[in-house]
Amino acid sequence: MTMQESRGAGTDAPKLGLGQIALRMSGSVAAPTEQVRNLNRLTDPALSELGLDALLDELLERVKEALSVDTVAILLHDADSQQLVARAARGIEEEVEQGVRIPIGRGFAGRIAAERVAIYIADVDHADILNPILREKGISSLLGIPLIVEGNLIGVLHVGSITPRTFGERDLAVLQVAAARAAPAIERARLLAELEREHEVAILLQRSLLPRRLPQVAGISVAARYLAARDEVGGDWYDVIELPRGLIGVVIGDVVGHGIRAAALMGQLRTSLRSYAQEGHGAARTLELVDRFTQAAGDGAMATAAYAVFDPARGTLRFASAGHLPPVHVAGGTARLVEITPSAPLGAFPYGSVPEHTMTLGTDELLVLYTDGLVERRGVALNEGLDGLVKTLRPAASAEDACLLAVSELDATHGPRDDVAIVALHNQPIPAELRLRLPAEPSVLADLRRQLRRWLRERGAAGDELLEITMAVSEACANAVEHAYSPAPATFDVRASESAGEVTIAVRDSGRWRPPRGRNRGRGLRIIESAMDDVTVASTNTGTEITMRRRLGR
Amino acid sequence: MRLADVNFSTIDGVLVAHLFGEIDISNAVELAAAVSDRTPNDAAGVVLDLSDVEYLDSGGIHMLYRLRESLRARGQSLAIVVPAASPVIDAMRLAGIERHLELAETLEDGLGKVVPRPNGEPTSSHCSKGG
Repeated sequence: MTMQESRGAGTDAPKLGLGQIALRMSGSVAAPTEQVRNLNRLTDPALSELGLDALLDELLERVKEALSVDTVAILLHDADSQQLVARAARGIEEEVEQGVRIPIGRGFAGRIAAERVAIYIADVDHADILNPILREKGISSLLGIPLIVEGNLIGVLHVGSITPRTFGERDLAVLQVAAARAAPAIERARLLAELEREHEVAILLQRSLLPRRLPQVAGISVAARYLAARDEVGGDWYDVIELPRGLIGVVIGDVVGHGIRAAALMGQLRTSLRSYAQEGHGAARTLELVDRFTQAAGDGAMATAAYAVFDPARGTLRFASAGHLPPVHVAGGTARLVEITPSAPLGAFPYGSVPEHTMTLGTDELLVLYTDGLVERRGVALNEGLDGLVKTLRPAASAEDACLLAVSELDATHGPRDDVAIVALHNQPIPAELRLRLPAEPSVLADLRRQLRRWLRERGAAGDELLEITMAVSEACANAVEHAYSPAPATFDVRASESAGEVTIAVRDSGRWRPPRGRNRGRGLRIIESAMDDVTVASTNTGTEITMRRRLGR
Repeated sequence: MRLADVNFSTIDGVLVAHLFGEIDISNAVELAAAVSDRTPNDAAGVVLDLSDVEYLDSGGIHMLYRLRESLRARGQSLAIVVPAASPVIDAMRLAGIERHLELAETLEDGLGKVVPRPNGEPTSSHCSKGG
């Protein structure tokens, strides 16, 4: 047999196979004092300050010196391909440059990995060597050991000598010190890379689950922010939902836990809440249904959430909270926490019930919802954090403003400790004179009616006159949309003003007025005429303007 | 957000289409088509329940006439439920709709106004659409 082998213990950290196979002691081994010095150099604490690449480079250099060998190489285990991949080398740098891959179980390194033993090859020429670079380099003798961390194979470390050489027990011991040093560092670096990838995936998932754009609703402005935690992504979310009858729903939520699982559950809860909300369930009932959904999700799924439904026509806000922090109400330069009856988080108790609160969100007032990452700071009581937020939000004049002010308190350089979601709702004031330019599309009419109703209500219109004026204006606008245009994109203008108890509303398009077509159009014009006191139609080459007047409270 | 929605049910061989929301030129044609498609050939007629409709414009009124015509061509009748306090009653009154369409204040009245087919008249119950 031309090959001598040293077999170490097959499991855990490589150990000297003392007594198993006799190793010939080599005369070329360094003197004991020198070896101690070399060992010290391998265990130098300064090595742990280095990054993985620098650590491996430094370690290989020191091994090369300590054992007076010509080559040193580290190959890492790639579990997916069941191969060893050259990672770092000294004296045979080509191995790394060429990306040498050795199948587990084959050749010199492959066998070390498969059998988890140290292998010594005295004469390369007569051995089963897979890697041609070893031969090309003229290596005669090889010694290699497996790198093992907590029972898992992570790679192989081997040294080679160009002159024929007998590797002894002491050589093996030095190699094992180096392996003990390198293996955990490699594993740590691998885990870090994996965590980093998971963090990136979670952030990507989180982002993809948040609304891409917020709905535009007349008379309301909304703004939102999501700030990812600096370390680990969480399950915070916000949402703004257009509801039937011109209502708007605003959601804030926070799934208990972190990482991809929390982000995925957040996505489910967000969708579940949207679905129940759009079915027309009220604020409290929607949260109760999401609570049932959370129970059914199992696995101890839990979240806090708050849901507000705003009716811009009446300025009323219905609000429910499942274990979530109270929202901030900003009105005329003052701010306060909205008083809420606390209820359990989503998923906490079977058949939990959620109370509903009703409040008024007056003209130019704001409601700000947020997650705890905004107010929870290490070493600061929650109450202090909440007080701070309330003070910070006092001067907020718009939804965007509120978001900017709220995040201004956070640590700008390091990002928040926990992730943060904020959503602000502003009941915008309606100007005394309404001026709108709208695309000539049927879909804009519903929104236009909502704005007009609000405007009319603020001018003192009520009951039938409100309905009739809205109907007349909507008919005039339908005319502009339906009959004054070619299919090319176009706009029309609506102007509404009030003077001495009389409203004047003008609808102007830049198309040519066509004679009413069929009974339907006749009906539209009839509705306009019977709803208003006075109607004039002015048609020119550049467009048509219909002006309608009606005295309020006639 | 959908401006309007419609739920269907069948009571005593009459299709009841319950509409919710606002009906204007942006959705009137599609809503009429949805009701028409869901009406089986053997149904005596259709009750259009507008109790939960908050807005109806001339486009919507036009749709009601069109629906009545298409049902009549199949020998089916149409009744429209509008409570007296409905916000859409104004539009219907202004358009003079009560002279041309069968109006009822409640669903029960509406069902009573759909003329049942005489017994024994052959129906095409095997070619019902939707349903």
